[in-house]
Amino acid sequence: MLKIEKLNAYYGEFHVLEDINMEVPRGQVVVLLGPNGHGKSTLLKSICGLVRSVKGNILYKGQNITGMSTSRLVSMGITYIAENRELFPFMTVQENLKLGAFSRAARPHLKENLDMVFTLFPRLAERKKQLASTMSGGEGRMLAIARGLMSNADLLAVDEPSLGLQPNLRLEVFRIIKEINKQGKTILVVEQNIPKIAEMADKIYVLEEGMITFEGDKEKVLSSEHMKEIFLGM
Amino acid sequence: MEVIDVIISGMINGSVYALMAVGLTLVYGVSKVFNFAYGSFYSLGGYLAFSILSFKIFGGYVTVLVLAVPALLLFGYVVERAIVAPLRRWSSWEVKVMMLTLGLALLMDNLFQITYGARVKSLPVIVEGSLTVGPVIVSWQDIAIFVLSVSGMFAFRWVLNNTWVGLAVQAVAQNPNGAQIVGIPRDKIFAATFAISTVMVGLGGILLSQKYFVSPNQGWDILVKAWVITAFGGMGSIRGSLYAAFIMGMLEAFVGWMFGLTWVQFALFGVLLATLAIRPQGLMGKWG
Repeated sequence: MLKIEKLNAYYGEFHVLEDINMEVPRGQVVVLLGPNGHGKSTLLKSICGLVRSVKGNILYKGQNITGMSTSRLVSMGITYIAENRELFPFMTVQENLKLGAFSRAARPHLKENLDMVFTLFPRLAERKKQLASTMSGGEGRMLAIARGLMSNADLLAVDEPSLGLQPNLRLEVFRIIKEINKQGKTILVVEQNIPKIAEMADKIYVLEEGMITFEGDKEKVLSSEHMKEIFLGM
Repeated sequence: MEVIDVIISGMINGSVYALMAVGLTLVYGVSKVFNFAYGSFYSLGGYLAFSILSFKIFGGYVTVLVLAVPALLLFGYVVERAIVAPLRRWSSWEVKVMMLTLGLALLMDNLFQITYGARVKSLPVIVEGSLTVGPVIVSWQDIAIFVLSVSGMFAFRWVLNNTWVGLAVQAVAQNPNGAQIVGIPRDKIFAATFAISTVMVGLGGILLSQKYFVSPNQGWDILVKAWVITAFGGMGSIRGSLYAAFIMGMLEAFVGWMFGLTWVQFALFGVLLATLAIRPQGLMGKWG
């Protein structure tokens, strides 16, 4: 579904990503792990058209999408879910969700997607009329994911969904991501907190200092000495 | 009964100021652009009406509105794409936008002078006659101005709350990054907002020019008033501008009546300074 070849990204003088190669097959959950500040978010944002200086090839469903605008990518079925939520604070839950369906491709499915989202997140259905700015961290995270689902995307790029959440809410978020995956969405998720997220991954990539240093399935990752060293401090 | 006349005059000017100030604050709230050519866009509205009416075509002001609104919309859109949008790439682009729109204002004013001459032009009234209710006499023209500017406000509100473009405009104002993420083409929304504000001030120009004539440099006075109202109401706050416009309209009418027109600007700035000293964010700073 998504194939990345020799991707390089820059923030001004900084060379943030170096020759990244990776593949996200249809229907899978691919997890991108790595320490903070090593370029994971940049990689997700590059895929979603949110980083300007990008070189290399990003292929989506066989089509080269490098350098396309985010609005175009959203209508093609790629949606980014931000780590810091990026909600519309003075709008209600329902208005936030409606805007999630802004792209022309998603508008005709507004009703059915709203139903789908409310089934997945019953809490949001109870709080339809509440302003986004008055929600708790966990609810805000749910709303951000729900808003992403409203776009009718085939590929969801989820940036650190567990960031700032308590352990039980993290598990809830991971469970929901798996649930969304079962409904047929392909998911690329960035995380730091591995042991839990690794369990649901079909494939894992590790990004360190702007380079992919490891790739493989979860058994391979969990048994690797290097990984234990980095992430579990063992 | 002079007091009632003054109140009516304040209401009518206030309604047009509201239309224009909301347009100005909208652009600031959504795209952080200070448009110094706003006053010249007002003049453009007046001259458009003058030109269209000079053909003596069928329909009078109805034709003016039908032709001028799309023309202003297109003009605003093109100006944004051509001179404001390219600046966003640069650092401190906000200041560059001010300088460039200032230049545009001077260019437009001089073009008006070349095309129409330096002398004032007068526009015919929308409707003749007046309405008498007991001791109060209100001209139909004033009523028409009030009705049209209030309708303009309601139309704007409707667009903002009931269309995808309106929703997108609010989204960009509240969180530009969030708007980009959900797939809203921010650049187009910036241009659309600018275009809508051009219509609002141009409509203000069409409405007020019947009372105060059209002249090449009249825009500066409007620019100052619109800015004072916007700063008084709170930058970026639509509701704040709305209230501020009516307050300033009333203030203008009463000060003009009691102390003479010379004191109007003093009073406007006095109230603005006093407000900003107490509430630097204006009446209702922030969106809402």
